[in-house]
Amino acid sequence: MTPAEIDELRRRLHEAEETLKAIRQGDVDALVVGASDDTDVYMIGGDPDICRSFLDMMEIGAAAIDNTGRVLYANAVLADLLGRPLPELEGMRLAELTGDPALEREILAGTLRRRRIPLGPEGAERQVMLSCGKLRLGTVSGHAVTFTDFTEQLAAERSRQNEKAALAIIACANEPVFVCDTLGRITHLSGAAAALAGSEAIGRPLSAVMELSVGDGTGLLTLGEIVAQAIEGLPVQGIEAVAAEGTPFYLISAAPLQVPGETVSGCVITMVDLSQRKAAERHQQLLLRELDHRVKNTLALVMSISRRTMHSEDTLEGYQKAFTARIQALAATHNLLAAKSWSDISIRDVLVRELAPYNEGFSQRILVEVPEVEIEPRSAIALGLVIHELATNATKYGSLSTPEGQVRVCGIPCSDDLAGVVCLEWLERGGPPVSEPTRTGFGQTVIRHAFAYAEGGGAEVSFEPDGLRCRVSVPTGV
Amino acid sequence: MRRLVLYVAGQTPKSLAAISNLRRICEESLPGQYEVEVIDLKQNPRLAKEHSIVAIPTLVRELPVPIRKIIGDLSDKEQVLVNLKLDME
Repeated sequence: MTPAEIDELRRRLHEAEETLKAIRQGDVDALVVGASDDTDVYMIGGDPDICRSFLDMMEIGAAAIDNTGRVLYANAVLADLLGRPLPELEGMRLAELTGDPALEREILAGTLRRRRIPLGPEGAERQVMLSCGKLRLGTVSGHAVTFTDFTEQLAAERSRQNEKAALAIIACANEPVFVCDTLGRITHLSGAAAALAGSEAIGRPLSAVMELSVGDGTGLLTLGEIVAQAIEGLPVQGIEAVAAEGTPFYLISAAPLQVPGETVSGCVITMVDLSQRKAAERHQQLLLRELDHRVKNTLALVMSISRRTMHSEDTLEGYQKAFTARIQALAATHNLLAAKSWSDISIRDVLVRELAPYNEGFSQRILVEVPEVEIEPRSAIALGLVIHELATNATKYGSLSTPEGQVRVCGIPCSDDLAGVVCLEWLERGGPPVSEPTRTGFGQTVIRHAFAYAEGGGAEVSFEPDGLRCRVSVPTGV
Repeated sequence: MRRLVLYVAGQTPKSLAAISNLRRICEESLPGQYEVEVIDLKQNPRLAKEHSIVAIPTLVRELPVPIRKIIGDLSDKEQVLVNLKLDME
C-alpha cells in the first residue's frame, strides 16, 4: 500500500470511530442505512413527527423544549397566543418566549407543574395556565409545556362576579330601586322596592305595580312614560310623584341601563321617599306664616305703645324712659316665648321675669304665689305688659315707693261661669295712702283692656286707701 | 471559497438544535465567512452518499479542503470552531 492509501485508511478509521462515539454518546438521533440505491433514514427513539403532529392537533398552545430551554416544536395556537409567526418560535429560548427567565429555570429544574401567567404581546396579553411535564424525544430529554388560554373564562367569571355585586348593591339599596327590561317589565328590584311593589312584581310593568300620580307641568304624565323615555336613552331626573292615597311623596329618577359599547338594555328607576321632607317643608311654611303674623302683631303693638306713651308723657325724656321700659317688658316675655318655641308658657315664669328688676336689692318685697298654669303666647305678652305697668305704678306712687311697702301676687278663685281663664290678684300694702287718680294714664288703659280680646278676660283696679288691688282674668287659651 | 453542508433528518430534536446552533455560531463568530447549505436527508436520503453520511446531524466543511466532519448538534461551540478553522492557516 502507498503512504497515501494508508493515510486514507486512517482517516476513514478515525471517522468511523467518531461516528460510533457520537452514536454511543447520543449526539445523533438519526442514521442513514441501506445500500446506495436503497438508502433510508432511521430515527433513533422513534419518529419525532408523531410528536409534532400531536402538538399540531392540540387546541391549546403547546411546545416541546429541550433540556437547555430551547423550543423544538411549537403549535399554531401558541404562535397565535404570542402574536408571532410559528417558524419564529422554533429555536427560541422559553425564557425569551415567556419573558420570564426564572420561569424557564423552574421548568428545567422540574420544580414547576402549573402556574397562571400573562402571555403575549404587551397590550394584548392573555391569561394562560402553564402546565409542564417531562418529555423524551428520540435521544433528547426535554419538557412538554402547554398554555391554556382562560382569558375568556376569567372575563366571564369577573362578569358573573360583577353581576352578583350589582345585584347585591340593588338588593341592599335603602331606597326603592327597580330595574326594567326594554319592554318596561321589572327584572330586578331592591328590598325596599319589593316591600312597596310586592313579591309578585318581577315580570310586570312598573306602572302596573306602583300607582303613582306624577306631578303636573313635567310633560310626563304617567310612570309608564317615564320608564319609556329612559328606555329610549333619555334620563329623567327629579320628578315628584305621589301615591294614589295622597302619601307618600316620591322623587323619581330614571336612567337608561347601558353597558359601555352596547345598546340600552332597559332602565333603572330610583324612588326617594320625600314624605318627611314634604312634611318639614309644610311645617316650615307654617312657621314662616306664623312668624309673619307675629311680627306684624308685634309691630302694631309697638306702634300702639309708642303712640299712647307719647300721649301720656309730658316730656321727651319721660317718653323715652317709659317707652324703653315698656319695650323691655315686651322683650322679656318675647325671650321667654322664644325659648319655648312660642308654645304655651307658665304664668309664674312670666311674673318672675317681669318683676325681677323690681325685686333687686329688696328682700321678698314682691311675693309671687300663683298656680302652675300655662297660658298661650298672646296672653303671656298681655300679662307681661300689665305686670310691668302695675310694678311701674307701684314704684312711682304705690307700695314699692316706700321701704316698708310690699306687693303680693297670688291666684284667686274665678267666678263659676268663667271657663278658660285664670284669675290673679295684685295687692299692694304698706305704701302711702291711695286715692283715685284724677286722670287715666296709659298704664290703666293697658291694664283694663289687655285681656279684653277674649271672652272672660279682663281686669279690675280698686284704689283702696291701704293700697291698690288689681284683679285680672287671664285667658289661658289652652 | 468556504462552504459548509449540514445534513439533517427532517425536524428531529438534534437536527433542529444543529441548525439553530450553526446559525448562531456563524452569525456570532464567522460572519460572512461561510456559505451554508442544509440538506434534509429525510426528504432525499440518496444525498447522504456524496459525503458518506452515516449519523445525523453531521456538519461537513466541504471547502476549503481537506473535508472535515463534525457529528452531533453542534452545541459545543468551541469544538465546532476548532474543527472549522483547522488546516486553514
